[in-house]
Amino acid sequence: MSLPISSRPLMVVRLATSDVHEIGSTPQGTLTIFPVVGGTFEGERLRGRVLPGGGDWVTARGDGTFTLDLRVTLETDDGGLIHMTFTGVRDDANNYFRTMPRFETAAANYAFLNRLLAVGIGEIRSEGPVHNIEEIL
Amino acid sequence: MNTQLLMVMQVKVSTVLNIGAVPHGARRTAPLAGGTFEGPRLRGTILPDSSADWQLFRSDGVLEMDLRATLRTDDGALISMSSFGLRHGPSEIIAAIGRGETVDPSTYYFRTMLRFETAHPGYSFLNRLIAVASGDRRPEGPIYTIHEVL
Repeated sequence: MSLPISSRPLMVVRLATSDVHEIGSTPQGTLTIFPVVGGTFEGERLRGRVLPGGGDWVTARGDGTFTLDLRVTLETDDGGLIHMTFTGVRDDANNYFRTMPRFETAAANYAFLNRLLAVGIGEIRSEGPVHNIEEIL
Repeated sequence: MNTQLLMVMQVKVSTVLNIGAVPHGARRTAPLAGGTFEGPRLRGTILPDSSADWQLFRSDGVLEMDLRATLRTDDGALISMSSFGLRHGPSEIIAAIGRGETVDPSTYYFRTMLRFETAHPGYSFLNRLIAVASGDRRPEGPIYTIHEVL
């Protein structure tokens, strides 16, 4: 017996990043911090802008993959603040860039975000990283 | 989002330790007594001594589950698994689960996301993927259908 998994689009997050901070080689790997200075997000149920002051902590591991650790604040077009975090994996050799976003908000209109799990499909574009986030139904 | 079946895991839960009311909800820890997993590319057992599910029942009625387990494959590889999940649903359904009844898993939300770590070359593909699971809470413990996110 196995249960199906399905998903539906939640939003597309486009991040603007500034010059990276190369922390360099540490006992955990090679750490690079990508400051998030802005961006936008848009979906059927929410849209708005990414506030500056977040970032993605990216660690290059010994097997050629990167682990991601992001936190940003989203502000919806009606003034709700949403704390978004994700961890994930980027494996350029296999063109695999997937994340597991989580959300926390006190804005009543967006409380549904507190109750769902999501998966992001990432892509590096010239203008910055783009994350296609789907809600796990 | 495309997925493919990674494995079905049957978890046996040991006696739950009720930590009780903490500042952000009600906390309990569910040590795992063992279990099994089976999929096209791996199968084996859950090691009981290093596996548990740390649960927080939040004020909005959502149960957060933070599970860590050590898996041993049938050819001896050790795999560390971590899973973060959410469970919620209509109060009568959640109450029935609490009474130890078997309920239809499609009547509530029980999903987790997972990562794996292993040093065994035969299973290194697990280091490179994320997975999502649908859960089915049975009286003896949950059954997770775990899908690789492609």
